Amino acid sequence: MLLAFEIELRQNMTDGFVLFGILIQPLIVAFMALWMLKGKGPDYAIFVVVGSGMTGLWTTLLFNGGNSITGERWTGTLEPLVASPASLRVVIYGKVLANVLQSLLSMIGSYLLISLIFGYPLTLSRPWLFFISLFVSVVSLVSFGLILASFFILIPDFARMVNTLEFPVYILGGFLFPIALLPGWTTPLSYILTPYWAAVALHGAAQGTLGTWQIVGTWGIMLAFSVVYVLASGRLYRVILRKARTDATLDIVGS
Amino acid sequence: MLNHLTANIRIFFEGAYYSYRALFRWLRPATYLASKVFAPLTMMIFFVYIGAYASGSNNASFYVIGNSLIFAASSGIFGVTMSVGGERWSGTLPYLFGSPANRWAMFVGRAVMHILDGMLGVFIGLGWGILLFGLDFSHTDPMALLLAILITTFSTSGLGLLMGCLSLITRNVMLVNNTVYFSLLVFSGANIPVAELPRWMQSISQMLPLTRGVACTRTIINGGSLADVLPLLQVEFLIGVMLTILGYFLFKVFEIQAKKKGTLDIF
Amino acid sequence: MDAITVNHLNRVFKSTDGIIKRKVKEVVAVEDVSFEIRQGELFGLLGPNGAGKTTSVKMLTTLLIPTGGTATIMGLDVVKDAAKVRPRIGFIFGGERGLYWRLSGLDNLRYFASLYYVDEKVAKKRIPELLEMVGLKGREREKVEGYSRGMRQRLHIARALLHDPEVLFLDEPTMGLDPVGARELRTTVKNMQSANKTILLTTHYMFEADALCQRIAVINKGKIVALDTPEKLKENVQDLTVVEIELYGISQDRIARIKALDFVVDVSVEDRDQRQVLHVHTPKGPEAIPVLVENLNGLRLGRIITREPTLEDAYVRLVGGTEN
Repeated sequence: MLLAFEIELRQNMTDGFVLFGILIQPLIVAFMALWMLKGKGPDYAIFVVVGSGMTGLWTTLLFNGGNSITGERWTGTLEPLVASPASLRVVIYGKVLANVLQSLLSMIGSYLLISLIFGYPLTLSRPWLFFISLFVSVVSLVSFGLILASFFILIPDFARMVNTLEFPVYILGGFLFPIALLPGWTTPLSYILTPYWAAVALHGAAQGTLGTWQIVGTWGIMLAFSVVYVLASGRLYRVILRKARTDATLDIVGS
Repeated sequence: MLNHLTANIRIFFEGAYYSYRALFRWLRPATYLASKVFAPLTMMIFFVYIGAYASGSNNASFYVIGNSLIFAASSGIFGVTMSVGGERWSGTLPYLFGSPANRWAMFVGRAVMHILDGMLGVFIGLGWGILLFGLDFSHTDPMALLLAILITTFSTSGLGLLMGCLSLITRNVMLVNNTVYFSLLVFSGANIPVAELPRWMQSISQMLPLTRGVACTRTIINGGSLADVLPLLQVEFLIGVMLTILGYFLFKVFEIQAKKKGTLDIF
Repeated sequence: MDAITVNHLNRVFKSTDGIIKRKVKEVVAVEDVSFEIRQGELFGLLGPNGAGKTTSVKMLTTLLIPTGGTATIMGLDVVKDAAKVRPRIGFIFGGERGLYWRLSGLDNLRYFASLYYVDEKVAKKRIPELLEMVGLKGREREKVEGYSRGMRQRLHIARALLHDPEVLFLDEPTMGLDPVGARELRTTVKNMQSANKTILLTTHYMFEADALCQRIAVINKGKIVALDTPEKLKENVQDLTVVEIELYGISQDRIARIKALDFVVDVSVEDRDQRQVLHVHTPKGPEAIPVLVENLNGLRLGRIITREPTLEDAYVRLVGGTEN
């Protein structure tokens, strides 16, 4: 897993498109959100940092988690990967983790942009809770990534659909505005998305709007989700590999 | 003479037609719908809600119009760039440069279908606006609106042609494209009123395509007449013309350089 | 009038190395190349990879400007009259790139017909004829994506013939084709020649040049080292016999030792699976075998035969030693 992590990291650092997803796009989102929410006062700067960082996190998870699988397909390395004795799930976990950790750069990037260039005072009101929340969020997002990656393997056409999944999660995750503004029927959808809980925890800890127990509660939810995802992915991957070997679809390049 | 003209017109439109087909033929209808109809909607909703959260009031029409026109830009920039830059990918450049075809017709024809496609995108966006956000067209002059949309799409396609040429030179075209696209989001006034930007940013806004188009479209939808926006539209048109000429000029430079240095086959 | 004349053509490529210390490296790809091709002739440009074949073709097809010398096509200069040359020539570069894979074969042909100002009525008639000729009839509405390599290369030929050019350049048209595909393609080339087109064909396959071309120029390291009919080229080596020795694992200094023998004119080594085959050119014929075997003692030897020299041997002699 460490090796998968390292290789993924090295490949991404040379890929401009990935850098865009990690750095430039979230910065632009941060800038716009900051400007649009300016009227709400300087306290909202930290909200924007966290929110736009979340968009970066989600976008990288979505595009790169998937693209790395599609990439393996293209270069024809998916077959040896599957054939290698290492568990595919572990390999993918490593890849996704590399992507998610990199995308934390986007949060740091928007932090620097907003504090240095725009001169907003940025303080985390509960730093310890924030960093633990961040850790738990990463764990749960990576587990979610496992499930996502399996879709990329199962549905070659999935890569073309991901564009459509970028903004819905921005919206339902409540990254940059509270989901209370949305129509009521969407709320359950938010609840089943682990990015939503991550956003709740991170926003709450950063702004100090949530009590300690509430934040710990979101950790519990995220960890519960993670366990479910990891268990589900175990089954899913077994099914995938069986299917792929019977249908001979491992080398199909989504054309 | 006349024959030659019709032949060039044919190159122009066939180039347009085939480049569009090559680009979209691989899409299945469902994927096409998703990328053309659904994805723009989600982006629009995102910004409408941030806007609503910011102001606490319903100011949806501002964001709906702004983001609808952004779709024109996305088809102008990405569509056109892919059809010019795609030549490099498919290895067809040597064959194009070895043909006697008029370069102007060959090059600019690539933008035509994407202008139509971009306009369609704007209509879809505005349609969502009517359906979901109560966008009001009762005071709108339809012909003026059509003209404003046409000119805006044209000028952003001009930007696409320019970017397409860059894509013949640089490797990381998607990176550059995305940066330009997202900068348009910031600078054009689609989501942030231009007047609220710092001075230096406003001066950039004024140089870019789309900025005036967005302003004109808002005025027209809110009941302004064509005469109100005509001066702005003329400048928008001019920006489009200049970008197209610049793009064509770069294309020629690229062709000459490639022949001198022998770089045609690098791609 | 000659269809193609080439006078002292030169092409130098400059490449820069490094970012800080910029070293300009000059590579001479084509050096002082001259030849003429008569109208209706099928002319072969034969040479190993990197000999300057493609660079020459690029200059003749107006895609590359020579750094020295001149060339004309049907009396028109390829640099000054490039615009007039283009409608009169057709060209293909080997390989399967250069088509719009997401379009059908038919759409590809239609688009290029318009780029070459082929009248629509003419195109409507010619495209089916060409599809028939290259054996793609019935498949023209499928996307090029789904074509086999050979089909794509044949589509390229149809594309090059759309505007009925007087001169055709075929740069390694059979590259990467399987034997059957390559044979079909050679038949197509033969047919084109009977349609009285001037054709310049480049290849690194000997037998292909031998079978198709009326005259062959052998090019090596940017220079023409021989130019003649295939028969005359073979005469160069006719006084020699080739001894072929199969063996396992020969070292470089052994080869050098054989080369140094006074009755040996040339030696080349060819890899076949795990074996190697030593080709020894000698005027002595079968008499040479005992001495050769003596010099190879200690090695496992396989079959040993003697044979008449072929064009390939002539070529190997011209471009020197082992191929690749």
